[in-house]
Amino acid sequence: MTDISYREITRNGLWDNNPALVQLLGLCPLLAVTASVVNALGLGLATLAVLVGSNAVVSLIRHRVTNAVRIPAFVMIIATFTTCTELLMKAYTYELYQILGIFIPLIVTNCTILGRAEAFASKHSLAPAIADGALMGLGFAAVLLMLGAIREAVGSGTLFAHMDLIFGPAAANWKIELFAPGYSFLVFVLPPGAFLVTGLLIAGKNAIDARIKRRRDALKTRPVKGAKRVRTTGVIQ
Amino acid sequence: MRQTWPLPGGIHPPENKSQSLQRPIAQPPLPPCLVLPLNQHIGTPSVPRVCVGETVLKGQVVADAEGMISAALHAPTSGVIKAIETRPIAHPSGGEDVCIVLESDGEERWIELAARPDYADLAPAEVLALIARAGITGMGGAGFPSATKLQPRHAIDTLIINAAECEPYITADDVLMRERAPGISVGIDILAHVLGQPETILIGIEDNKPEAASALRDALDGSRADLVEIPTRYPSGGEKQLIQILTGKEVPSGGLPADIGIVCQNVGTTHAVFEAVCKGTPLISRITTVTGGACAHAGNFEVLIGTPVEHLLQAAGYDQGICQRLIMGGPMMGFTLADTDVPVVKSTNCLLAADAKESPQNNIPQACIRCGLCAEACPANLLPQQLYWYARARDYDKLAAHNLNDCIECGACAYVCPSEIPLVQYYRAAKGEIRVMQQEKIFSDHARIRFEFHKDRMEKAEREKAAKREQRKKAAEVARSTVGNSQPAPDGTTATDEDSDVVRAALARVQANKSSTEAQLRKLERNLEALDTQLNNAQSRLTEIPESDTGPHGKAAAAIEQIRVKRARVAGELEALKNQAPETPTDTGANAEPAGQDQRAVDKAAEAIARAQQRMAEQQSMSPDDKRRHQRERLEKRLVKARQRLAQAQTDGDENLGAYADAVASLEQKLTALQNTETTAEAIASSGTDTGER
Amino acid sequence: MPLALITSPHQHAAQTTQRVMQHLLLATVPGLVALTWHFGWGTLINVALASITALGCEAAVVVLRRRPVGFYLRDCSALVTAVLLGLALPPLAPWWIPVVGSAFAIVIAKHLYGGLGYNPFNPAMVGYVVLLISFPVEMTRWLAPASILPDGASLPDLQASLQLVFPLLGNTPIDAFTMATPLDTFKHSQGLLVEQVLAENVWFTQGTWSGAGWEWVNLGFLAGGCYLLLQRVFTWHAPVAMLAGLSLMALLNYDAGSSTSGGPLDLHLLSGATMLGAFFIVTDPVTSAVSHLGRLIYGALVGVLIYIIRIWGNYPDAVAFAVLLMNFAAPFIDYYTLPRTYGHEKRGRATKMKD
Repeated sequence: MTDISYREITRNGLWDNNPALVQLLGLCPLLAVTASVVNALGLGLATLAVLVGSNAVVSLIRHRVTNAVRIPAFVMIIATFTTCTELLMKAYTYELYQILGIFIPLIVTNCTILGRAEAFASKHSLAPAIADGALMGLGFAAVLLMLGAIREAVGSGTLFAHMDLIFGPAAANWKIELFAPGYSFLVFVLPPGAFLVTGLLIAGKNAIDARIKRRRDALKTRPVKGAKRVRTTGVIQ
Repeated sequence: MRQTWPLPGGIHPPENKSQSLQRPIAQPPLPPCLVLPLNQHIGTPSVPRVCVGETVLKGQVVADAEGMISAALHAPTSGVIKAIETRPIAHPSGGEDVCIVLESDGEERWIELAARPDYADLAPAEVLALIARAGITGMGGAGFPSATKLQPRHAIDTLIINAAECEPYITADDVLMRERAPGISVGIDILAHVLGQPETILIGIEDNKPEAASALRDALDGSRADLVEIPTRYPSGGEKQLIQILTGKEVPSGGLPADIGIVCQNVGTTHAVFEAVCKGTPLISRITTVTGGACAHAGNFEVLIGTPVEHLLQAAGYDQGICQRLIMGGPMMGFTLADTDVPVVKSTNCLLAADAKESPQNNIPQACIRCGLCAEACPANLLPQQLYWYARARDYDKLAAHNLNDCIECGACAYVCPSEIPLVQYYRAAKGEIRVMQQEKIFSDHARIRFEFHKDRMEKAEREKAAKREQRKKAAEVARSTVGNSQPAPDGTTATDEDSDVVRAALARVQANKSSTEAQLRKLERNLEALDTQLNNAQSRLTEIPESDTGPHGKAAAAIEQIRVKRARVAGELEALKNQAPETPTDTGANAEPAGQDQRAVDKAAEAIARAQQRMAEQQSMSPDDKRRHQRERLEKRLVKARQRLAQAQTDGDENLGAYADAVASLEQKLTALQNTETTAEAIASSGTDTGER
Repeated sequence: MPLALITSPHQHAAQTTQRVMQHLLLATVPGLVALTWHFGWGTLINVALASITALGCEAAVVVLRRRPVGFYLRDCSALVTAVLLGLALPPLAPWWIPVVGSAFAIVIAKHLYGGLGYNPFNPAMVGYVVLLISFPVEMTRWLAPASILPDGASLPDLQASLQLVFPLLGNTPIDAFTMATPLDTFKHSQGLLVEQVLAENVWFTQGTWSGAGWEWVNLGFLAGGCYLLLQRVFTWHAPVAMLAGLSLMALLNYDAGSSTSGGPLDLHLLSGATMLGAFFIVTDPVTSAVSHLGRLIYGALVGVLIYIIRIWGNYPDAVAFAVLLMNFAAPFIDYYTLPRTYGHEKRGRATKMKD
């Protein structure tokens, strides 16, 4: 394949082709588990790990796999990495594992991972594939984090509650109370709020893109194309 | 009381009819100039019969109907045809069209009229011919040629006369019925006669015209026509809607009332039919209502067709200063005029000069809230709010599914819309876009068929060529194997075999040429004859066109010149051919000649082959230096010849001078290039004895 | 004067969108009066807060969309949404309840879909539902009507009401006059016969037909609805169908007043938000079905859904959920209920199938 620059991979994964805000892939875990920062962070990191691993292995075996069985092969690889991640989480972050529940095995069905394996990793060598996986995963995790932060802040009035589920007991006092205790705006914790915030995030991204484009177009010099003559004939009453 | 069915939907706008009912029908003064558009009706425009400068009498035919759906046009007054040119016409587009401009002489001299008050003794087809000759079209606003309408393909059992006049402001039919009811009654009788005496004859009139109804009832005394009063509602006067109200039947979508055995005619058209048949007067005038706040004397006028709107408005006391909108037609379906120099046509039933109070404010439309008031008002049971959404989205499939084509553009939906959305304009625009798309589809389908046909033809030609090539190759192989097992030697014995093939082909061509010389002779003679007849015809046509008509005259003269030139050329060719070939070859001569020619062809071919072979041998034995020298000599010879030809061309003044000059230049270039390589080669060779090592 | 070049028609009826909205606002007055009479100042404060928020949000969004503010505010549609939302909320709810609900309704349920005429869901009901699932405690704290309060107690006056609504102005406990609604009472009286509930509960002993106070509110909205029908702001199909659907379900399920029955018919018709829903919510033209038959089906299904959720669902009153569910189904109903056009033999489908 033509050589793709790492700069482009980075820009694509984080902004231009962000899996959650542009490709709109993997919306199921996005909307279901981002009610708080710790859940979002947990799932984001798990997805990132699976993405990097599967991209690497798919890239390594890309010349050996025939076209007819490539999709099942990729899914097998992704499932393997997902199971590894799940077992790791079960071992080291058991409460988070219990909270996230079925969404950890469901990482297999995350279209981002299969999509990147099919569209990128199977056509590029190892290093770009790993980079793409890492950056796509980072982009996805960043959106998850933002979503989790907003939903937790507006829905429960806190930020970074229960971080000890990932980072150990020392992180228990990272919690910030934004509003009075007892505050709750339940709709943002429930799935409708997830849809709303995601929609607003996508709108925000599009607004930023539009503004960048407007600024860039304003700086572009336009060639002067000669004077235009104005007809003034005709009956004026 | 005859049963009537209710109109679904409909609206009840303020009637505003009293302003124009204050006076009887008036006659405006004779205008000095009348403009008659050739296309005043639905269908093909008429073809002018008169020419510029001709004097016409009142009622004389000035244009003939063309095709199945067309109508004739008559001079509304006596005068001189000033011009046949494009003039602005009354159309929503504000465009122009070809019109016959008639300058009236003020004398109003009538042509001789052929009145047939004894129509009942004539066959229906003859009466129909009278109606067609009178150029009668629908006077209710649509303008469909009545003669075509009265010739339906199905049997008619109901004749409906449309006297509803549901649109506000218009009172033309009302006063016609009040003042000329007996004529209408006779007209109904004539129509019934033409249609083969349908079972039911109904006249639908709204109940806001009591005087007209009673006048008509008195006139219809004894006739079997039924006068039915229907509730006043807009648009109960639409043809489809009136049929539904009076008979309960619906005209099938995309069909005509004739399909269900009904013919509907406007009451004004009926009166015109009466005048045409019983008095022989063609359609040259109509009743038009001129009303509105900007008219001081609103009323009904009997207007000559072609009267400029300006003239008519003056007769009604028009005040340009306070007129905000000038509408031709009624306020619900009429279109605005930008200027008053357009003519009145056969379908102009009203001129509405609206002042500021009568023109609604043209506010910015708000969003559609899907309130459904438009669906309540629609007489065709459509969903205007959905049609509006899909017209905006240009979703033509959904528009078709929602039956956009059944919209009669009555304007009831836009009248009630609380958001003041111009709904009807959206439908008109959508219908126009659909029509353009259908046209383009026809073109592209046609282009696709042509392309596929072309592709097939090309492929077939390819296949045939390939087959022929195969055949020839096989024949050559067979010939070669049968001629003998002669080894292919390098000096050219095979050339003889190929030579014989070539020779045989040459023989065949020469034969064909020889015979075709005679065929050519015959062909040229035939051409000459045809051109002679063409010339005679063109010259006789030229005498018909008068000198003054410069355009056509000039064209015909030019055509004649072209034919003469062609004829001269063909005659020259014929002469040349006759001189070239022997006149009548004798039998022996015929046989001897081809043989001699064959021999000569064979000799020539053999010589050429020998020369080429010699050259090849020489070339192979030459060194590169010699080759170059040889090439240079040949180039120089060619260059000399080319320069000679250029000089010749210059003296002749040949138009291909540039080409000769280019040829010379390119040869010179090649020569210099060759010389350069020669010098470099020599330099290399002379720069030492170590050339070979390098 | 130059002549205007405009398309036909050149006449217009007097009805404008603004006039339609004004009729709607006028028709809410009897119900509003009944609510204020029986439950105090709370509803008026709710309506006022919601209206101010709605107009402010609409102006802000219109400015963001770079359009003329006056043109868009003048059609009173935001005001109607706010009033309907304010009427549906419990009186004396904290001030941020109507503000948040109104903001959600105008910004998210109406303008994010394109503005007036483009929203698929009823904005007032969206606002109500968001509030209901977000703040279940505050949204289920209803008041007892004046007629039921024990002697000596009375509904808070204007100043006390304002203090309750804006807690920063002072702190007064509210529990003295809260009470579950009649529907709520019925829902939680399992095991009792209908007549027992009617006899024992103070709602019904004090009320004439069903639920003191609430019945007058519903009758007020019914009067407003009849006024709108007379003014031809909408047709009878949707409201009558909804009431008929609800009545049919109530009659079918009322097995002579056993303990498992759903409740008497007049309870369902004259309690909760039934009449408000029938004449002001279900008739919202933007979000309902389009044809007459479509509106009949739409209304009937709303009525049926209200009953189902009331009896077998988790919520005592279900108008908002039923309406939102049917808004979702309105295009589907439209597909099958195109009216038969003149000249066609039967009704078509809303999308032409390509053959």
